[in-house]
Amino acid sequence: MLKTILKRILQSIPTLLIVITITFVLTRMIPGNPARTILGPQASAQDIAEMEIKLGLNKSKLEQYADYMIGILHGDFGTSYVYNRPVTSLIAERIPNTLVITLTSLVIAIFIGVGIGVLSAIKQYSILDYIFMILALVGVSMPIFWLGLMLVNLFSVQLGWLPALGMGSMSKGIGDVISHMVLPCFCLATIPTATFARITRSSMLEVIHSDSIKALRARGIKESSIIWKHALKNALPPIVTVLGLQLASAFTGAILTESIFSWPGMGTMIVSAIDNRDYMLIQGTVLFIAVVFVVVNLLVDVVYMIINPRVSYDSKGGN
Amino acid sequence: MKKRILALALVASMCVSLAACGNSGSKETEGTAANSSSAAAETTASGETEAEGDPVKGGTLTISLSASPSKLDPIHYSGVYESEIIKNVCDTLMEYNKDLSEYVPSLATDWTVSDDGMTYVFNIRQGVKFQKGKYQDGREMTAEDVAYSLNRSGELSDSNRLSMLDKAEATGDYEVTCTLKTANSSFLTALTDAGNAIVPKEEVEGWGDDFGSHLVGTGPFSLESFQLDQQAVLKKNVDYWLAEPNLDEVIFKVITDSTQAANALQTGELDVAMDLKGESVQKVKDNADLTLLETPGLHVAYIYFNMEQGPTADIKVRKALIEAVNVEEMVASLYKYGEAQKASLPLPPGSWGYDASLESKVPGYDPEDAKALLAEAGYGDGLTLDLYISDTEARQNMAVLLQAYWAQVGVTLNIHASEWGTFSEVAMSNNADVYGMSWTWYPDPYFFLNKLFSTDEFGGIGNGQHYSNPQVDELLQKALEATDQADRADYYKQALALIVDDLPGLFYANENVIYGVNGRVHDFIQRADSTVKFVTTENNVWVTD
Repeated sequence: MLKTILKRILQSIPTLLIVITITFVLTRMIPGNPARTILGPQASAQDIAEMEIKLGLNKSKLEQYADYMIGILHGDFGTSYVYNRPVTSLIAERIPNTLVITLTSLVIAIFIGVGIGVLSAIKQYSILDYIFMILALVGVSMPIFWLGLMLVNLFSVQLGWLPALGMGSMSKGIGDVISHMVLPCFCLATIPTATFARITRSSMLEVIHSDSIKALRARGIKESSIIWKHALKNALPPIVTVLGLQLASAFTGAILTESIFSWPGMGTMIVSAIDNRDYMLIQGTVLFIAVVFVVVNLLVDVVYMIINPRVSYDSKGGN
Repeated sequence: MKKRILALALVASMCVSLAACGNSGSKETEGTAANSSSAAAETTASGETEAEGDPVKGGTLTISLSASPSKLDPIHYSGVYESEIIKNVCDTLMEYNKDLSEYVPSLATDWTVSDDGMTYVFNIRQGVKFQKGKYQDGREMTAEDVAYSLNRSGELSDSNRLSMLDKAEATGDYEVTCTLKTANSSFLTALTDAGNAIVPKEEVEGWGDDFGSHLVGTGPFSLESFQLDQQAVLKKNVDYWLAEPNLDEVIFKVITDSTQAANALQTGELDVAMDLKGESVQKVKDNADLTLLETPGLHVAYIYFNMEQGPTADIKVRKALIEAVNVEEMVASLYKYGEAQKASLPLPPGSWGYDASLESKVPGYDPEDAKALLAEAGYGDGLTLDLYISDTEARQNMAVLLQAYWAQVGVTLNIHASEWGTFSEVAMSNNADVYGMSWTWYPDPYFFLNKLFSTDEFGGIGNGQHYSNPQVDELLQKALEATDQADRADYYKQALALIVDDLPGLFYANENVIYGVNGRVHDFIQRADSTVKFVTTENNVWVTD
């Protein structure tokens, strides 16, 4: 297994190289110029030319690319044009904020989503099943930004129960932070919850109608134990795959959610980096998200091997 | 593997394409504007909250910033939202009074100007102390600090905010002499800019590149903490030379969206919401606990024709395009909540260079004449133009109306709306037939007429359409060198008349500066240039619970 993991890590290097290159090219392709956006509309042509030299944008694109690549090999991911600080320190500062809401919302999504999925599966074609599945369909198709605005309007503006935006402050106690987390987490959890519910339901249905479960029933084992211990375990692999995907896409979902709730995480940082044409910061954050994707994928494969020993990524295994 | 690469590429492109949803346009209203004697009378009344009753000491005031400040070092800042913070932490040599009609002494008590307009001598206020910082313990500010700060800005300012300065020297313990490269009467206005605030050398050198995050000055509040994209917390400076601030704490909170700001105001998370737009204005009006402050800004919204290339290089076409638009009707439907007034000239009525007698020289609504002019110019069979705008709501609505008006005279308009970075690239490079934007800055006409119409400004976004008239250039130069304001106003009025004759654009609206304020805030002054100061000679903001 160690060998497989090592192999997978090596395989991810070309993937990351391609991501770096594509991001580099794309950021240079968006019209606009960092020097201009930094200096604002009143800047004269001369101010802009001076700023371009300062930022190294007067060099050829190829030279800039080479500089960037050499920097990365030395562990230097560049300095943000706007914040004038190393990209890595900016990401390090923001990542905990994003993790707090993405992980919390995923945990919520797993418990509620899997629970609903299992209930739907064992009560297939019941009223409950229909209600759950309609809700899941609505949830999966819900535009996050619309939902977010509606939540704010209802719970903050009309009812005044929860704060509309920001992260709160630990100095005002943990309660303040949690109350700020409720709406963004709910918003971010919607799609994963619905996805988990649907995937769990179909996976469970397949398993509970299989011979092995019938055999367990025949042996007179308690129904709840069959469902939650045996069936759910066998239904897990597709759920884990989806978990991996959801974890990674939660980062992209966070871009929208954080913008709606002014949550100071990676998402708001990426959006403002793009607005400001802060090339280094855009490249750094996209590369970071790419690394998250790669690592999560790797973890999913490892977990897969553990929960389902039939799966082997060793070519010698003859799969 | 293939799928993964595809997925990753998708994320990359998604992130980049999100640029389109960003808070563009925030940069557009950057810079400042001000208010004039004519507009002042009717506006100052609405620009303040009640100061009645005995001021209460203590408390926190939370105010929104419509864009995220990143650089608080005066020489690096670029947006109003950064200068709001700088101006409460630092002082400048002088500042404008609340209706921006005259200079008020601040760190300089008085000053003299030589006859040739080249030398300025300032007397510096005594007994002013810097806030305590890591590298000095709150020592007195001296002439040396003033000279140091001004020279630093003259040499290093990213936006060349003091480029006219040759050198500043301490010629006494409390006297500074500034020599200019050439006579430039915008020098005093430049000194009111947050970019030319007075800062202590030890802190600047001690912190180096990080000075902005640990800004120290002589202002009413000291910077307690600064978190990127979140907030800046300011604590009162009990030793402030002017008066002890009433507020204990001021929090500048970054809220980039006007609706979000209005929501936060309603929930009480915010005390003051700046830059309200559209429906948010109505929300505040409808809420009895909130006050809407509105002051005509030093602002002009306009569409600018390409003066060098394409059909609009022909003045007949420009005249036809102006005549095709019913400006009054357009402004009424664009600004449903009365957020702007109809304009005619490329200078806001609040500027002292404004000349109302020129308004009648701008062609009025006359679609029949417009058609005739287009036929005369050889476009009887129609004409297609490309309009470039930033993707803000106000601009997009304007574009759609413009499209409809021009269609009536046979002009097909293609609208290209993109976020600010993309828009500015096209607009600056003389590649647009027509572009639509707005301009806002100081009351000195220099900051409008020079930036928008001087040949020297080719390549900047002000004059991206390459307006060039040698007579105008000459008058603008004379106005810059003259030291007497009456002379300067006269030159600017002459230049303005020539510009209006050339019909470079359609200047359609002057937008208001609009804030929502909670009833607990007292003695708060709104200014036409969007500067917010909590302690000045004219006010000292306080809050009740």
